[in-house]
Amino acid sequence: MSSAIRLSAIREMRTRVSRPSFIVSTVLLVVGIIGGGILFAALRDDSRPSYEVGALGDAPRAFDTALELAEQQADIDVSVASFDDRAAAEQALDDGDIDVLLDTEASSLTWNGQETDELAIVLDQAWRTAAAVAAAGAAGLDDAQVDAILDPQPLTSQVVDPDDGPGVGQLVGFASAVLLFISITTFGSYVLTGVVEEKSTGVIEVLLSQMKPHQLLAGKVFGIGAVALAQFTSAVIAGLISLKVSGVDVPSELWTGLPATVLWFTGGFLLYSTLFALAGSFVSRMEDAQSAAAPITTAFSVGYVLVFAFGSDPEGTTATVLSMLPPFAPLLMPLRMVTGAASIVEVAIAALLLALAVWGMIRLAGSVYSRTLLHRGSRLTWREALRRQPGMGV
Amino acid sequence: MLDVQSISKRFGRTIALDGVSLRVASGEVVGFLGPNGSGKTTTMRSVMGLIAVDSGAVYWNGEPVDADRRRRFGYMPAERGMYPKMAVRDQLVYFARLAGRSLPDSIEAADRWIERMGLTDRATAEVQSLSSGNQQRVQLAISLVHDPDLLILDEPFSGLDPVAVETMKDLLLEQAGRGVAVLFSSHQLDLVADICRQVVIVDRGRVVLDGDIDLLRQRSPLRRVEAQYAHDVERPSVPAGWVVDRADGRTISLSVPAGTDLEHIVARLSAHGEIVDFSFGPPELSEVFVQSVGRTQSNSSGAEPGETGGPDATNATAGARFA
Repeated sequence: MSSAIRLSAIREMRTRVSRPSFIVSTVLLVVGIIGGGILFAALRDDSRPSYEVGALGDAPRAFDTALELAEQQADIDVSVASFDDRAAAEQALDDGDIDVLLDTEASSLTWNGQETDELAIVLDQAWRTAAAVAAAGAAGLDDAQVDAILDPQPLTSQVVDPDDGPGVGQLVGFASAVLLFISITTFGSYVLTGVVEEKSTGVIEVLLSQMKPHQLLAGKVFGIGAVALAQFTSAVIAGLISLKVSGVDVPSELWTGLPATVLWFTGGFLLYSTLFALAGSFVSRMEDAQSAAAPITTAFSVGYVLVFAFGSDPEGTTATVLSMLPPFAPLLMPLRMVTGAASIVEVAIAALLLALAVWGMIRLAGSVYSRTLLHRGSRLTWREALRRQPGMGV
Repeated sequence: MLDVQSISKRFGRTIALDGVSLRVASGEVVGFLGPNGSGKTTTMRSVMGLIAVDSGAVYWNGEPVDADRRRRFGYMPAERGMYPKMAVRDQLVYFARLAGRSLPDSIEAADRWIERMGLTDRATAEVQSLSSGNQQRVQLAISLVHDPDLLILDEPFSGLDPVAVETMKDLLLEQAGRGVAVLFSSHQLDLVADICRQVVIVDRGRVVLDGDIDLLRQRSPLRRVEAQYAHDVERPSVPAGWVVDRADGRTISLSVPAGTDLEHIVARLSAHGEIVDFSFGPPELSEVFVQSVGRTQSNSSGAEPGETGGPDATNATAGARFA
């Protein structure tokens, strides 16, 4: 890399990194993503509800065993405390130490305030089972026969064609697409406004007397790109940490697909920011910057919409074809990779086409840039810019 | 020595430069004059490599000027240009580095120029927060921070207050004293006459006059005569070829052909009354300028591309001002 490219890249990096908005947005991004994972883990309800039952008098012989079975079926924990003294038991109920008082002699449940349905069902089921066992014993069955009654072969259950909404891969894919879109748009617009600033302030003349147009272009794209990449990579690392701490079952392709988004980001940024720089070179006033960049922003936004239009069916033909086209690949391919929908060949084709597009774009920009950078006055159209002869810059 | 050899440039149907040649020796300050749109800025941009000329070439010490050589040139464009949100010191260091200086050298040079320009207390301030006078100083420092061999300054005096003009003048002469070749454009002809011995006057893309200012003045076909009388005098009648430029109260100003006998002039004017003061000499640079470009002014085509009116628009018609 020539020293002029390096110097201007470093200048761009220093300019962006030292801005409070960059530091704040990066910190918020990382904290938000990791925080999301932690929050998810915290809110995820994988502990079973547990209840305290106060038992007055002796429960039937099989009650404990029957209760255990019922607990498992209902997916709750019930612990039983025995009370000898009715007053003490009622006091415990009053104090909230126990959720319900089971009076074995009266065969009654006493609740404080409100009945808890699932606990009532479980206790009732255990009580009935225990009663049935007692009756079976009285009818002369031996212990083994009674155990068989207590522990029948359970029903097995399975789900055909599970309908569990979008998978983790798809959610991560959509999230990556959103982040890719925002990052490339944000940092691409830095490139755009950076070029226009150099033109509108006239510093471009001093710069070009000391360096070549393509060096200025490369320095700007690399410098801002390095900052963008640092932020994006932080977000991806935060994403991986977030997935890890969330305790979600993560499909294996995510662990490779998510880090690979960094590469798609790099390609996408190079492609679009070079275009943004070109658009910036067509205008000399900040007010014209957005309109000059409109065709690029539109194309990129179309890609973004496509992600959501076809992302739900990442294995479909449309998604497959679109994900290999350079303008859309940086947004669509990461989604198809993290969902495991993309084959190695498709990824390779998309990467190759994107690399070719970036190379072609940088070459084109290098030649057009020198014709348009010194242009002053009204906005050039893309057609005018491409037809301009070198040195018509003033 | 800068040697611009017959450069031509056409923008579409407009001929901006039509075989411009000029030389600036090391240690010399050359004033570059011409009406707006005459090709001064285009010439300077060509020297700085911002414009690819159609024909002709630019040499430094006999060698064609390339990108590496240009990094030893300092440039101050007519439309000033700096990064508005970059600190003064960072800006100077950056441009010194771009010109190929090492980091320690660049820092040393930046600090030296900051001190020289009296900006020490503003060194870490953003350029956009500076007064316009201080911004001009930073702009000048940018063109000087890498100790260039050649200084190309496009309208360095425009927009400066009288004190800043003096500072700028001293600086240019100081740089020339250090062996730097200096080419600057200006519409302030009295200032040019004050600073340089050499001028190049362009009009419509061609050099119409160049050389030593005194020689150019001497070469003028006219001489200026002014007589002050003790009392009010009538407007004199003059021989053919003489022109009365002014006659009011006790002053008479004339233009006479060069070579007119001085005694004859004095005798002729003495007839009108007692003369208390008398001057005779070649016309001022401003008159030489007007004479050289005046004849082409009427059919001069529009403004030079990229050169806008701006703050010095009042100087646009130098002819009118000095006529």
